[in-house]
Amino acid sequence: MFLSPEPLSLVRLCELTEAAPGPVQRALGELAARHDASSGLELAEIAGGWVLRTQADLGPVCDRLRARPPEERLSPAALETLAVIAYLEPISRPEIARVRGVSAEATVASLLERGMIEEAGRAQEGGAMRYRTTPAFQERFGLKGPGDLPPITHFELSGAEAEAVHQRLRDAGHLSDEVA
Amino acid sequence: MSGTVRVADPLRLPLELDLFEGPLDLLLTLVLREEIELAELPLRDLVAATLDGDEAWDSPTTGELVLLLCSLAELKARRLVGEDDDEDFAPDPDAELVRERLAAQLIAFAPFQRAGVWLRTQDGVEGAVRYRRVPLEAGDPSLTRHAPAELADALARLMVAPPTPSLGHMNRQRVNVGEIVAELRGALRRSGQVSFDEMTNGTDRLAQGMTLIACLELARRGEAQLAQPIPFGDITVRRPSQGRAGA
Repeated sequence: MFLSPEPLSLVRLCELTEAAPGPVQRALGELAARHDASSGLELAEIAGGWVLRTQADLGPVCDRLRARPPEERLSPAALETLAVIAYLEPISRPEIARVRGVSAEATVASLLERGMIEEAGRAQEGGAMRYRTTPAFQERFGLKGPGDLPPITHFELSGAEAEAVHQRLRDAGHLSDEVA
Repeated sequence: MSGTVRVADPLRLPLELDLFEGPLDLLLTLVLREEIELAELPLRDLVAATLDGDEAWDSPTTGELVLLLCSLAELKARRLVGEDDDEDFAPDPDAELVRERLAAQLIAFAPFQRAGVWLRTQDGVEGAVRYRRVPLEAGDPSLTRHAPAELADALARLMVAPPTPSLGHMNRQRVNVGEIVAELRGALRRSGQVSFDEMTNGTDRLAQGMTLIACLELARRGEAQLAQPIPFGDITVRRPSQGRAGA
């Protein structure tokens, strides 16, 4: 794991060590126990595999070491689009635009270029291309796999919050009292 | 846009709409006096009437027209979204529905916006990817076994210009129709008839084509007769009978 440039799945670890899954899982547990919060390293499960990585609180040190340029950061629009794709994948660009309410062409192109999403085929012949998130996305956001996201209901507006949105729209003159 | 470019007053442009008929400046006056309800004026028809006609406007006039239409569109939009202070103004129920839908869409999209904010907190730029990303095969340890002089010698051998490639094998084929005609004449003199397939056996397509041209040339001159009993079959080239030879 120290040498691997990508997360190693349990199957791959078994192949490499020529050991059964049971002993490998026990070894992973021991490794995780050895690298507790006091250690500079931690064992983490991301993108369908295991990695030995620097502790999260030392992340800024890693960033300074690698001198990541600011342009690698994702814009709020890109993060919102990524969230739509991650929760609704596979999803086409027109569907993304319908959910967001604005065109997603440039944002999808940017996410494709960054390797955060990939093409996932068409629903039917001649239909729009659909997109899904990639292992690189899972790695970047520390997800264990494609479905490792908080439930979308966790982010839904409560009744009071939805009413607050309506009230703001009414205050701004965009909604009349009768309709809302 | 075809025709001559005119410099004219766009305000005098005559319009024919369902709600109004007359020059554009009169329409604007009536709209400003609220004698024509802007909310009921279809801007699409107005744009079509002003810009899609046969008139060929110059650039400044066209710009002025577009500006006027944009102002009208903005005014109509303001009235539709209820920014008008006029208490008598009755909001368009369709516009209300659209606004309500937009509000619903805002609420429906809110979870994804929040998920985007959550993703930002998880973003690897902030430190999620904290393990080696260098591919295993990046370095070639075998290079370290060689002395710099050996590597320099290997590089020097690589830098020697290669010999100019030989084009000797690329023979330029020459096929002379005259030679083939002479060959055909000789064969006809000797045996009276020649098989086209036998003549062209083992030759390439260019030679076969030239031989056919030579046969046609001899036939045109009356020095040979061509017979092909089966379509795409062999062609027999015969010396003509004495009576027709000189024809």
